Amino acid sequence: MSLLVACPTCGERPFTEFTFGGELRDVSSPDSASDFARVYLRDNLAGVQRERWFHLLGCRRWVTLARDTATDRFVEG
Amino acid sequence: MGTLRFEGKFVEVHDGDTIASALFRHGIRTFNRSLKSHRRRGLYCGTGDCANCLVTVDGLPGERACVTPARDGADVIRETGWPSTERDALAINDKLHWAMPVGFYYKMFVRPRWLWELAEQVIRRATGTGTLPVSARAEPKRTRYVRVDVLVIGGGVAGLAAASTAEGRVLLADEGMIAAGVSDTGTRVAIDRLAAQARAAGVEILERHTATGIYAGLSVPLVGPQEMVEVECRRVVVATGALEAHGVFSGNDLPGVWLARGAARMAAIHGVAPGERAVVVANTTQGAACAQTLREAGVDVVEVTGRVLEARGSKQVSSVSVLTPEGRRAYSCDALVLSLGWAPRDSLLRMSPDADVFGAGDVLWPGCGLQDAETSGRAAARGERLEPRLGDPWPILEEDGYVCVCEDVRVHDLEAAWDEGWTSSEILKRYTTATMGPCQGALCSRHLAAFTESKGAVPNAQGRTTARPPVRAPRLEDLIGGIHEVIERRTALHDLHVAADARMDHSGVWMRPGHYGDVDEEIRAVRERVSIMDVSTLGKFLVGGRDARALLDWTLPLEVGAIEPGRTRYLLALDEAGYVMDDGLLAALGDGTYYLTSTSGGADRMEASLRDWADRLELHVHLVNQTAQLGAINVAGPNARDLLAELSHDDLSRTAIPYPGHADITVAGVPCRAIAVGFVGELSYELHHPRGRSGDLWTALLEAGRTWDIRPHGLDALDVLRLEKGHFFLAQDTMPDDHPAKLGLDWAVTMRKPAFVGKMALERMAGLPLARKLVGLRFDGTPQRGAPLTVDGAIVGRVTSCARSAAVGHPIGLGWIRTVDGEFPAALRAGGPTASVVATPFYDPSGVKPRG
Amino acid sequence: MAELRARSLAVVLCAADPAALDALVAPGHGARMLRTARDEALFVAPPDVAPQVGREVADRIAAMDDDAVTLDVSDGWAAWDLTGDDAAHAFSYLSQLDAPIEGAFVQGDVAHVAAKVLGTPSGLIMLVPAYWRAHVRERAVRDASAREVLSP
Repeated sequence: MSLLVACPTCGERPFTEFTFGGELRDVSSPDSASDFARVYLRDNLAGVQRERWFHLLGCRRWVTLARDTATDRFVEG
Repeated sequence: MGTLRFEGKFVEVHDGDTIASALFRHGIRTFNRSLKSHRRRGLYCGTGDCANCLVTVDGLPGERACVTPARDGADVIRETGWPSTERDALAINDKLHWAMPVGFYYKMFVRPRWLWELAEQVIRRATGTGTLPVSARAEPKRTRYVRVDVLVIGGGVAGLAAASTAEGRVLLADEGMIAAGVSDTGTRVAIDRLAAQARAAGVEILERHTATGIYAGLSVPLVGPQEMVEVECRRVVVATGALEAHGVFSGNDLPGVWLARGAARMAAIHGVAPGERAVVVANTTQGAACAQTLREAGVDVVEVTGRVLEARGSKQVSSVSVLTPEGRRAYSCDALVLSLGWAPRDSLLRMSPDADVFGAGDVLWPGCGLQDAETSGRAAARGERLEPRLGDPWPILEEDGYVCVCEDVRVHDLEAAWDEGWTSSEILKRYTTATMGPCQGALCSRHLAAFTESKGAVPNAQGRTTARPPVRAPRLEDLIGGIHEVIERRTALHDLHVAADARMDHSGVWMRPGHYGDVDEEIRAVRERVSIMDVSTLGKFLVGGRDARALLDWTLPLEVGAIEPGRTRYLLALDEAGYVMDDGLLAALGDGTYYLTSTSGGADRMEASLRDWADRLELHVHLVNQTAQLGAINVAGPNARDLLAELSHDDLSRTAIPYPGHADITVAGVPCRAIAVGFVGELSYELHHPRGRSGDLWTALLEAGRTWDIRPHGLDALDVLRLEKGHFFLAQDTMPDDHPAKLGLDWAVTMRKPAFVGKMALERMAGLPLARKLVGLRFDGTPQRGAPLTVDGAIVGRVTSCARSAAVGHPIGLGWIRTVDGEFPAALRAGGPTASVVATPFYDPSGVKPRG
Repeated sequence: MAELRARSLAVVLCAADPAALDALVAPGHGARMLRTARDEALFVAPPDVAPQVGREVADRIAAMDDDAVTLDVSDGWAAWDLTGDDAAHAFSYLSQLDAPIEGAFVQGDVAHVAAKVLGTPSGLIMLVPAYWRAHVRERAVRDASAREVLSP
């Protein structure tokens, strides 16, 4: 019962092998406004979102993937 | 030949019988009572699609009698009605429609509130089907995983054609047996030919395997008789066929009203005539074939076409009236056989808008011939998308007919609900529960859509309701098969603990000793002599690489650079919102390498967090999770150093192992990283060592510790020991939104550092008044953990930990309190006992003991 | 039928720069190099050669990445041999992963825990964190043996 997540090391795997890390937030914060945005604000897009996945049961590394939240499909980007 | 027991009597079973055919031959006509009105219900679809014939077989409720083979010796009972299904006192409900309006639960017994409690007991007893065998412990089904290129669901002509055409690894699943129940010769010949082709092509065929849903992936769970099969595949062909459309007219639910295929099967396969005189409404070609089958079985058949207006009868149908092309006609009969049109079994197809799911055969083109079925199957296998050909108009709804037979919803119930304002198929479904019964809308989903369309609902509110898994009712043991299981992590000392009669408890993901028989004595050993505890469950990490310090400096609120090699610091891990995520220790090993411990439950989260930041900040860090590789034993008590001295030649002085600090030493021949810690408030050393040597080390410590009457302690003792020191257990005493100030841990955060994870949030929150904090509590009696803390009867907090403490001399605890009028209260009640807020630690407040 | 047996293995972990690991040649001593992540490799070898493997890996990687971490982590892993004609079938009760062929390696969910699986001439080796040693046996026995695929 699974959404497949493409791990660059391990290949396509059911999402149950992963921990979801949410939207990718910019870490290079030049000022306090972007600091604030990183911590408290989420875009919550209905569309293509770049997001983090941790392959807990595989390589135990993070990967950033683009997923269309409206269709639940991963896309290039 | 054999017999089954039916409600205490013996019933003859012929070869090939289903439970339904055996009982029907025996003269049983009423198989069930309906949910609300307790009307008689008999065999209807005969194909496993409706819920009319659910019976309890060998103690298991909800078996579909019409598709369950009759086994010799089976014990069958009916499930509904009181005192019996045949004579049901609750049939009076059929006269009480006025008392059970649509939306019953939203209207009745609302006030007074206490009435509902009584009514509920009566209602629960009057409704529902069957009794769950609560005492029997079902084994969870085993799950087998299968990966194929194409999965075909349905083993009819279209499905077999698809399977024999598809390329790659192909699996075909059918919920019954291939060709079972096929009474038509032409179809049977086609199925035999295609099944042979499929087998020759290497297709794996799973019979009696029911697909319950199609999930993203694509992933399809199959429920089989012995095991669950979880199929991962690239393409799914749904060839689940169609059944005859449900007829909705007054009396449509009487026993003796049949869908044509069920009646034909009963006559042709089981040799039982569905009645002596049957009216066959043959609006389809299959209806005409069915009429012929019944004639051959000796039934007196009246074959008509048209609209059924009404069926009458008491225990079963005795007369019908039909609007034929020649006008309204009435017939007396004991069976009404309906072939009014088609209802595709399309739930699976509708729940998966996925591009890789294809329909074939009757599910797409209801009533299509053998040639079309085969052609569409082959096309679907190649990934060709065929346009659905729903030739039939929406079904006709005559007044007073039952739309949803499972849930007793009639046309006028829908009308009433519509008039109350429930004007779309989705909310009509929720309000009336039509389509929500055991058949999951197999019969009535199209009728509900027809009703909303006829009422002129706006386009997006008419049409079919969403199909969701499971499409067939699975058993609980199927659902738990291999999925919801407790996975135990065990330390290397697990077997030694068990051998020492420890009571092993689940502690998060780990199995840990709760105690070894005498908690008070374990506490005394720590406070007065020496004791050991298995703390191998701690998260353990080696952080190396040239950017190790930069990573830790950013992720932890400590001045990492200020930790000298050989020294250790308490660490709080915060998230970006400034909330405490975990705590542990950070040891500087020298060469810019660090050893970090986290709580037992926090290891995975700690690793994920460190790797996330290393990755996003592009730091050159080599992180090794050593949780599994290293065991750890805490040696605690006034005699801890004396005990280690017995087993080690290394310097154990405070110069060699400062507090807080660490050193690599050898104990009983085992290489250990000894970390001087203070969690239990006595002189103590955590010995981190290779897991393979845990047993040697543990045994040597117990042996050498005899001098001090050593004994190991478990979690129960630790709970008291740490409480005496005022230390919290993360998650037991803390909440997800605790920043350090709420826990009194400001000292563990270095705000003068330019930046670290959570700093900005802490600065923002520092400007807000503290409305809630964790405090030490002293009680004059022992409260319950979790007890509310009150001031003048108003709840202002909660006890999160409490214990009687021999060392302190009175009951103590930790708890949350909120401010009252801007001040934190100092005197409270915790249920019976009074509670006063006191400073922690309760024990050894100046903290001299761990320094030793 | 398939058979499940505990076995002893040496496991050496090397955490280093991806480029350094790309260039690293596996040492001899019958060690198999498993590239478990961009910046990590495990070397699996017979139990008695752990020190040699560890030394050689450390020496070779140091030339390419001077702060690489090489550790003997044998204690951290429990190894199970799954052998026999039905090894792959028995494995299908434990994992959605395709059983790796001889010489291949795959990592992922086995019995709902993180595992490394190696294809061998006689079947499979399943490596799991040592605290799940018993879990894998119990799951294999419960499921595969119950279906008469695995010798009890």
